[in-house]
Amino acid sequence: MTANFRSMPVIALLTIVSLPLVIMYVFTLVDTFTNTEPGSLVPNEFTTEHWRFLWSPDVGRGSVWVATVNTFIFASTTALIVTSISVTAAYALSRLDFPARRFFLSGIIILHAFPTITLIIAIFLILQWLGLFDTLIGVIIVKTALELPFGIWIMKGFYDTVPWEIEMAGVQDGASRFMVWHKLVLPQVQPGLAALLIFSFLSGWSEFLLPLVLAPGSDSQVLSTYLAYFLLDDSLEVDFNLFKSVGLFYAVPVILIYLVFQKKLMNIYGGGSKG
Amino acid sequence: MQLKLKNFTKTFDSTTVIDGMDLTVNDGEMMALLGPSGCGKSTTLFTICGIHRMNGGTLHFGDREVSNLPSQQRNVGVVFQNYALYPHMDIRDNIAFPLRVQKLDSTTIARKVKEIAELVHIPELLDRRPAQLSGGQQQRVALARALVRKPDVLLLDEPLANLDAKLRLEMRSEIRRIQLETGITAILVTHDQVEAMSMCDRIALMKDGKIVQLSEPSEMYNNPSNVFVAGFLGNPPISFVKAQVQGDDFGFGNNRVAVAPGLKFRVGGALQLGIRPEHFGPQFGRDVQGKISFVENQGREDLYNVTLENGVVIRSIQPAGTRLKLGETVSWGVSSENVLTFDLQGARL
Amino acid sequence: MSRISKPRFNWLGLGFLAPAMIVVVLFFLAPVIMTAFFAFTNMSTSTGITGGDYLLSQSDLRSLANTKASAATLDALENAGYRVDDAGLARLAEAQGPATADEFRKLHEGDLFTSRRDMERALKDLRQHRIRSTRDRKLAAELFTSSVMDQRFDTEEAFRAALMTSGIEAADHDTLVDEAYTGWIWTTKNIELLASLSSSWRYAMNTAIYVSFTLAFNVGFGLFLAISTFYLSPRVAATFRTIWFLPRVLPPVLYVLMWYWLTWDTGIISTLAGYFGVAPRNWMLDTGTNAWVVVILINGFVGASLGMILFSSAIKAIPASMLHASEVDGANRWQQVRYIILPQLRWPILFTSSYQTLSLLTSFEYILLATDGGPGGTTEVWALAAYHTALNNYGGNLQYGLGAAYALVLVVIGIVTSLLYLRFFNFRELVSKPRIEQ
Repeated sequence: MTANFRSMPVIALLTIVSLPLVIMYVFTLVDTFTNTEPGSLVPNEFTTEHWRFLWSPDVGRGSVWVATVNTFIFASTTALIVTSISVTAAYALSRLDFPARRFFLSGIIILHAFPTITLIIAIFLILQWLGLFDTLIGVIIVKTALELPFGIWIMKGFYDTVPWEIEMAGVQDGASRFMVWHKLVLPQVQPGLAALLIFSFLSGWSEFLLPLVLAPGSDSQVLSTYLAYFLLDDSLEVDFNLFKSVGLFYAVPVILIYLVFQKKLMNIYGGGSKG
Repeated sequence: MQLKLKNFTKTFDSTTVIDGMDLTVNDGEMMALLGPSGCGKSTTLFTICGIHRMNGGTLHFGDREVSNLPSQQRNVGVVFQNYALYPHMDIRDNIAFPLRVQKLDSTTIARKVKEIAELVHIPELLDRRPAQLSGGQQQRVALARALVRKPDVLLLDEPLANLDAKLRLEMRSEIRRIQLETGITAILVTHDQVEAMSMCDRIALMKDGKIVQLSEPSEMYNNPSNVFVAGFLGNPPISFVKAQVQGDDFGFGNNRVAVAPGLKFRVGGALQLGIRPEHFGPQFGRDVQGKISFVENQGREDLYNVTLENGVVIRSIQPAGTRLKLGETVSWGVSSENVLTFDLQGARL
Repeated sequence: MSRISKPRFNWLGLGFLAPAMIVVVLFFLAPVIMTAFFAFTNMSTSTGITGGDYLLSQSDLRSLANTKASAATLDALENAGYRVDDAGLARLAEAQGPATADEFRKLHEGDLFTSRRDMERALKDLRQHRIRSTRDRKLAAELFTSSVMDQRFDTEEAFRAALMTSGIEAADHDTLVDEAYTGWIWTTKNIELLASLSSSWRYAMNTAIYVSFTLAFNVGFGLFLAISTFYLSPRVAATFRTIWFLPRVLPPVLYVLMWYWLTWDTGIISTLAGYFGVAPRNWMLDTGTNAWVVVILINGFVGASLGMILFSSAIKAIPASMLHASEVDGANRWQQVRYIILPQLRWPILFTSSYQTLSLLTSFEYILLATDGGPGGTTEVWALAAYHTALNNYGGNLQYGLGAAYALVLVVIGIVTSLLYLRFFNFRELVSKPRIEQ
């Protein structure tokens, strides 16, 4: 930003440390369409064979399309539920007065910071009891529950920025608190709503551990477990170009969504994301 | 419509902010709630409109008791300091919102919006968004929205605080014009004495949750009930001087001010004199001597601080052109009819 | 006359909160409580997670020898023999036909055979209805077994009733009931195991290594990225930030896959090293040190991006005039970083560190995908051990109870730390009363 310092040394240094990542990205892209001689780095032929998993179902474990549909259902359902529950709960916590409000507020902070993955063993057993083990519905419910404190917290942050006077004016104009929320406040937090929706969708799309543990069967598998099968099954022949193609197929929606909504999402990623 | 607040008490988490306040605003009157920040004027306003709940006391609009009614049922119009326009609606929808809530039909709404827009002089802005308007225009929209459903009372919370100096002057008279044209009972909350004095029929000056004095602006200026009121009104502010009654004069050091004819004070008694800057100058005699310690040239007028021998400073305002220099010794006088006398505790004598 | 108005009960608030409450209680608070509950059971694949039944097997006999069960009891269990009674004959009639049963009744009613061989011989020696096949004779002999051994009872009552008729000393019944129960029971053994197993200390050490090194990398490298990109033109800075942010956005499985490719024996490091005559090898798993380096880098590259964002926005918040002033005063870049920028980052650094400590303590996703705790358990951290114990191991016997005990430690740490976070936030302001009092 300041013109008093030269930027070339910084760029050079950054480039060197960023090289491993860039190499990974580039080769992931290139290798999915090419073949390379062993021991060489430069590809020598163009091919589409690494994408064969799209049409021949015997490559991975089950059909990639079933997994894709599952992933989409999983991600979009959790995103919708998380967002719609957060949007009311966060408003209550941000603006409404009700008994034990302090208790709920501190509860949400604790839940927000709490590392949810530690609960996976208990959840595994609870789902077995409920008969929801190895079902998509089970994973959806669990993912929703675990994502919810984060969603509420983020939405509360957006509500907190809406001026009180807007609500006061609405109340003075004769509107009920519900109407004030619906007609006056909700439109103000629309960007936050969209950001949360997109964020939870991405989070669901990338989720790995919950499906791995709670829905291990091939009927309810999602793309993350479909891809992980290649990595975790030692008996498979290692074919990185195929793996990368599957990975790229899996990640393309994520990358596109991220690139389009980058600005909107930054707010959330910085605002208390985990890890 | 008359507004009557009786024995009003308000506490926040066991801190009593307002204790047993009485206030009556007459029908069609514009009342200023004036006072320094933290005096409870905004709390009073928010209680009248129903955003705060009363902890004790009653509130009547005319014959109707509204003490326990929620805001929605009080029929009060409020203009907020930051206008609080709904950013996602255009101006027409902003103004129409209170009518939409009442579920009026669209032709009635359109007619009423048009009427009120003409009253506040913004008919050409109806299709814009709040963000596209200047501060003064937003102020007019806020007024229109507050007035469109014919409220019993109009409340204005520091309506001019967010405007620049020139717009403030313009909106001062505009708000007063609109209030007079609609004949609505109004309360203006402000910490600016000029606003209160220039816009309102009466002023309630508040301090620490109490009304210190309630009277017409000129009465309050000329006849303050204590040093706080006297000090709060007037710019440049009044100067206070400790003095003793010496025969027919108030004496302080070697200086004296004649006691106005018809007034009697106990000889030798100690008191405080309040001298407004316009009542101290060469035109009032030569009984007060001091050095010019500060000069401020304001174009039309000059302001001087005169420091007396004992270190007391008296401010003076003079028509421009006198051209006195810093450090010059002057012998001026005080207008004895206008000097205000207070006891040492600050109460008016 | 003054009246005190009661605050109205606001149903809207509770109504708005209700759906969230239900979900959170069912799938968040319940698991917390259940983790504690499971930690004090011996649940495993073999006990199942619902109730069990009662079965004394040969292996139970061996472990009974170590209990206070008397020798007579053990002997009785082992050599209870075969009694020709009505019940057994009825079973025989069903299996081999009533004629066989009748003949056998005539010959042996009320007899007691102490060994199976004798019993089978008696069955073989039937004159009219000999049971010819050895297999059938074995099965038929079983029908007369008078022991409670190898019999499945659904309820405790049924099992006790069988014990009563078996003639085993009543004093030993309770011991036998406990031994025979196949379901899970309450126990504090898991906690004792945690404290005594040398492996749990190793997991704790591994976790300490993992958390401290990764955290140091995250914060240090995040700082480096935030500060260095701050000095670049917005366009260049945005490019680098995107490069470093992608690992956070990419699905973990794909991200780790890239590292596989990077470090595998056919991967790029091996290929490049091959140009210098180094034999290809798996750089991720060939030695413990390498495994640690890879694990820390995998997590660090993701974690650094969080620091990068938080620190970047904190640096942006520094008034430009302050930076200009320092330049006018002749500060070089290092001095500017040291004296102007770093002091402003104290709180973001503290926040990021404490936040990431907790999440690193409990996370195992990337390690699971990358080394799976290998080689030879070198990178097995506590959270991964909990996962392996309860949810996935090569032995196949998943010890839910012990795994839950591992997890319980993390849950307790999580709760305590989250409570500490409450202090971090400006709680007073957070819970300040809503400004509309209705």
